[in-house]
Amino acid sequence: MNALLFAWRSLVRQPARATLGLLGVAAIGALLFDMLLLSNGLVTSMRDLFDRAGFGLRVTATEALPGQGPGLPDAVRLVRAVADLPGVRSAFALRLTDAVVDTNLTASMRVSLQGVAGAGVHPWTLRRGRDLGDGLELLINENTATATGAAPGDRMRVHASCDNDQSMPPVWFTVVGVADFPFDGPSRNTAAAPMPAVDEACGGNDAGLADVIVLASRAEFTDTEVAAQVTALAPHLKVLTNEQIVGRMERGGFSYFRQISTVLTTVTLSFAALLISVLLTVSVNQRLGEIAALRALGFTRGRVVADVLWESALIVGGGGVLSLPIGLALALGLDLILKDIPGVPSDVHFFVFQAGALGVHASLLALTAIVAALYPARVVARLPIAATLRDEVIG
Amino acid sequence: MEPLVEAERVSRVFAMAAGPVTAVDDVSLRIAPGEHTAIQGPSGCGKSTLLHMLGCVDTASAGTLRFGGEDVARLSDRQRSLLRLTRIGFVFQRFFLLPMLTAAENVELPQAEAGAARADRQRRTQELLEYVGLGARAGHRPSELSGGEMQRVAIARALANRPQLLLADEPTGELDRGTGEQIAALLDRVNADGTALVIVTHDPALAGRSRRILSMRDGRIVEEAIR
Repeated sequence: MNALLFAWRSLVRQPARATLGLLGVAAIGALLFDMLLLSNGLVTSMRDLFDRAGFGLRVTATEALPGQGPGLPDAVRLVRAVADLPGVRSAFALRLTDAVVDTNLTASMRVSLQGVAGAGVHPWTLRRGRDLGDGLELLINENTATATGAAPGDRMRVHASCDNDQSMPPVWFTVVGVADFPFDGPSRNTAAAPMPAVDEACGGNDAGLADVIVLASRAEFTDTEVAAQVTALAPHLKVLTNEQIVGRMERGGFSYFRQISTVLTTVTLSFAALLISVLLTVSVNQRLGEIAALRALGFTRGRVVADVLWESALIVGGGGVLSLPIGLALALGLDLILKDIPGVPSDVHFFVFQAGALGVHASLLALTAIVAALYPARVVARLPIAATLRDEVIG
Repeated sequence: MEPLVEAERVSRVFAMAAGPVTAVDDVSLRIAPGEHTAIQGPSGCGKSTLLHMLGCVDTASAGTLRFGGEDVARLSDRQRSLLRLTRIGFVFQRFFLLPMLTAAENVELPQAEAGAARADRQRRTQELLEYVGLGARAGHRPSELSGGEMQRVAIARALANRPQLLLADEPTGELDRGTGEQIAALLDRVNADGTALVIVTHDPALAGRSRRILSMRDGRIVEEAIR
């Protein structure tokens, strides 16, 4: 009977202890798995969202993320020049601001207003009506349409707040369509209009100033090659690929998730190691006489230590396998809760399954099994055979 | 005849909080192959400690112990384990059978550890269980056996790898008189079949079955009787 089978029999012999260990590791393993999914989930999800939007490059005035730094001046002319570059398939400039809208029939409501300039494919998906043309035209998302009761052809009053918090006079726009915007959250209200129209709604303040130019490369050019073309055209501008944007997010606000995940992972693994170590130590102490007898019968120190290690591995391995479905179910529930945070895009997920996480999960649990077995294995390895046999008889 | 085990002026001193305690004091002893020896004496006289040293599970504080002519102190822990596994058998007062294994599995365990092939192990195990009169109880766990039956399984386990020396520490200590008699008879048979036997016991009747009786007091052999 090898050490693995021996360990299995030892566990089956004490089903309550084995069950306690398995359930403990399953609960802790589930939390560990969720922490691993969380640590990279948001970054992975954002990368996926950017990639699905179909625009691989973003041009800004400085290193700051779009909307967080100074704008790009003369954006309409600039976006035309960028669109004419050989590697560019589609380009548009975005001015990001807020506005309060109403239709005279409903209460006013706040929306995120995007001023758009440029030609080619837009990032939104049209649901009803038609796409934006020129003039005071407005495209709204489903939330805005539902809340205001507006439909294509209706008139909508827009009080743009722009960036200087001044109270602007209202401007009447015509709703031309309803669309899904890629970065919308479930409760977010969004509207888009031609950039000159938004400039007009802002009373001419910061006219022609865009926060970002978004562009898609032609198939025969890589994003890096197109970035070089943009840099050659306007050396003072910063061109970022999606990967670079995600990298910045990863180093910025998203790093909190990784830090929280690391701390919680360490805590959960410590608890797992303690739990298993206590269970194994109690079990070993109950069997000291048997272990000493085995040693007297000629079992090597390595063999009895291997029995303890395998017992630890079986508890942690079994609990680890159980932890995966529990962890996945827990991740789905937590993801739903977190996605209710205002401003979080609907297509973004906090917990994202990655195959690599399975490997890390298994490796960390294997390490935990070894660490947990260290103390009881030491007890077994250093067991004085004669003294233990004597004590067992006296006891 | 070349001795199987030879203890030459061995002592065993335990360091205790109240000061060192000498459990075995300057004992010299030879056990020949096939010999039947009993060690008797009052509790705490050092007989079990001497047995543990003879069985290479404890080391002498002073003196030399040789097994098959080899100085045991020079062996590594692994080599001593191998020596116990292949050449020495132990029978304990409390049996120490593994409760999660059947009688047959308990007997098979040391053979597996010694690397015996599965078919050989199974044949040997059945043969041993028949030998101790438990051929029909091979699939029973220790909890389903009586004390005497457990000790029979323990004897079969001790004989699994055909040891040259069988050491029994109070083998009838947990058994009633009648069952103790049966175990004593079984041990006599083991010895008659060629295995050297050293029994530690309080029981004069059990000791009286041996050809050679060593009496210990205060860690020393104070009397040796040969029948």
